Amino acid sequence: MEQQDRIMDGDLQTLGLQSILKMLALSEKTGKLFVSSGPETLSISLRKGLIVGLHEDGVPQPDVLGMLCLVNKLDPPRAQMVRELSGGDPQVALALLVERGWMSAQEMQRRLEFAVTQSISHALRWVNGHFSFHRQLVPMESRMNPLNVDSVLLEALRQADEWEEVAAAGVTQLTRTTVARWQPEVSNDVGRLGLNQEAIEVLCLSNGELTLQAISLVLMMPEARVAHVMARLLGLRLIEVVDTTLETELQQDLSNIIIKCQTTLTQQRQSSVPEQHLLGLITTLAECINGLLIHHGTYARSLRGRGHIPSMEIVRYLERRFSQPLRTLAQQQYPILETATFSYGQLDCNDILTLNKVVKGEQLEEFYWEAVQGLAAFLRIVFTELLRDEVGNSHTGRQLTVAWRIFLSEIDHEVQQYQVYRAHRNTQMARGHEPTSSPALGMVQNWNVAPDGKGDFWSPETRRRLI
Amino acid sequence: MAEPTVLVVDDSPTVRKIVQMTLQREHIRVVTVGDGLSALTSVADEMPAVILLDIQLPRMDGYQICQIIRKNLQFRQIPIIMLSGKDGLFDKMRGRLAGSTEYLTKPFDSVELVQTVKKHLANWQERVPAQHEGTRHRLRYRG
Repeated sequence: MEQQDRIMDGDLQTLGLQSILKMLALSEKTGKLFVSSGPETLSISLRKGLIVGLHEDGVPQPDVLGMLCLVNKLDPPRAQMVRELSGGDPQVALALLVERGWMSAQEMQRRLEFAVTQSISHALRWVNGHFSFHRQLVPMESRMNPLNVDSVLLEALRQADEWEEVAAAGVTQLTRTTVARWQPEVSNDVGRLGLNQEAIEVLCLSNGELTLQAISLVLMMPEARVAHVMARLLGLRLIEVVDTTLETELQQDLSNIIIKCQTTLTQQRQSSVPEQHLLGLITTLAECINGLLIHHGTYARSLRGRGHIPSMEIVRYLERRFSQPLRTLAQQQYPILETATFSYGQLDCNDILTLNKVVKGEQLEEFYWEAVQGLAAFLRIVFTELLRDEVGNSHTGRQLTVAWRIFLSEIDHEVQQYQVYRAHRNTQMARGHEPTSSPALGMVQNWNVAPDGKGDFWSPETRRRLI
Repeated sequence: MAEPTVLVVDDSPTVRKIVQMTLQREHIRVVTVGDGLSALTSVADEMPAVILLDIQLPRMDGYQICQIIRKNLQFRQIPIIMLSGKDGLFDKMRGRLAGSTEYLTKPFDSVELVQTVKKHLANWQERVPAQHEGTRHRLRYRG
């Protein structure tokens, strides 16, 4: 930007945005006004004293097309097409929608005007900051009809006052970048909650992804009003404020755990001996459970925001939370899990992993098989509990659930391979001959090791007692 | 110009989903496939800005795919990031000889993955000639 083009600059403390805009409008200036406060910058394009465009830097721009899909005003395939054509420019996207007849020109104008008013209203509340006006800068291209500064200022000031009222009512935790989501306990039937239409709309869009600003834009409801409704929903414990930084970290950590376990699973898959294959699965499952326990020790809701917590407290929390489901599984379905214990917040499966020192052959395989089933069941419990507690039924939560189910299906696939082998072997034995060849349906090669437990057809329970 | 696409080729649905989820969070468009032949079709159809390629794949391994892409004049500039559970020097050298741009060892860190992909996406616009847009290029496999 050329120095000589800057015809006016100063601090917002000296001259407020309202006065600057009025002055530029009265003198019918053409150029661009930059107003900045902290990381945020607003650039308002003026032509002959009328607002012709506005751009905000420093805040993430809401995905207008995605939001229109959420409120059933646009089909996802159309949105995708427009997104690709517009190259991410929201104004171009709206213009394309009008061009294709998917939105009326009046609605586009209303939406653009609304966005300008919201941004100016936000900037009017800046106390500290800097401004500069550059006359030579050609105003950016805009699809919006020029707006009168007075009418925009009037509405923006009214909304700024509404924000002050919200703050005066003690709602200070909500800003335009706040993201909220439904509490996990909220049922799908919002009609039963006895809320008005406005509150239902805000509740439905509080999906853990949209910011307060985005909800305001999609509903064309002033930000302050959305904040007011959100405050009410928070009070009713229907939504909660999402810490996006924490959720990003949480998702990264869980993704890393899943990838690590998948890699271990792939490495263990190489084994051609059934016992080794099962042992590999046990190792993978135990590693996965312990990875999740470490993760939960960091991100559990009741441990968050309390600063440094002594490790023993975390250990006690994890054991309190997960030892009971483990005991129940051991008592009701998989007695082998009695040998797995919690030690310093980790599941110690050493007794299972060293079973080969006590038993051999088919007996060992039987125990391993039971351990695999038991640990797989426990793993499911741990993950479900963990996700419900940490992110609930949010967008992140659902994404992670899908990824998790895919990973579990890989484990299930391994388990099924073993089941095929096992069925084949049992059939062979029932026919009275040794299972010396690979199963016809088996996908795992070389699982043709003859079981050496001669005549041992005792149940796993009996064998365990023998040990 | 259309948004850049990252093609993820991995036989594990878990890896495909996690990578997709991680990159989509960064607003990167992702296309995933599970085997070598589909990978070649997708390269031609999508003209990806970056390819994340697993080595152990059904039907055709990652090294072969890498070599085929590198031999094609239209696609040879696409950065190929090899994903592998093997982190030995030999494997890395083999990947390099096949024409890979970078090598990520599994289990990879999601932050590292994003950084690596973003690094290669940064100069995507300069790299892709305008005439490639909107055209379909077919790879010929003479396996």
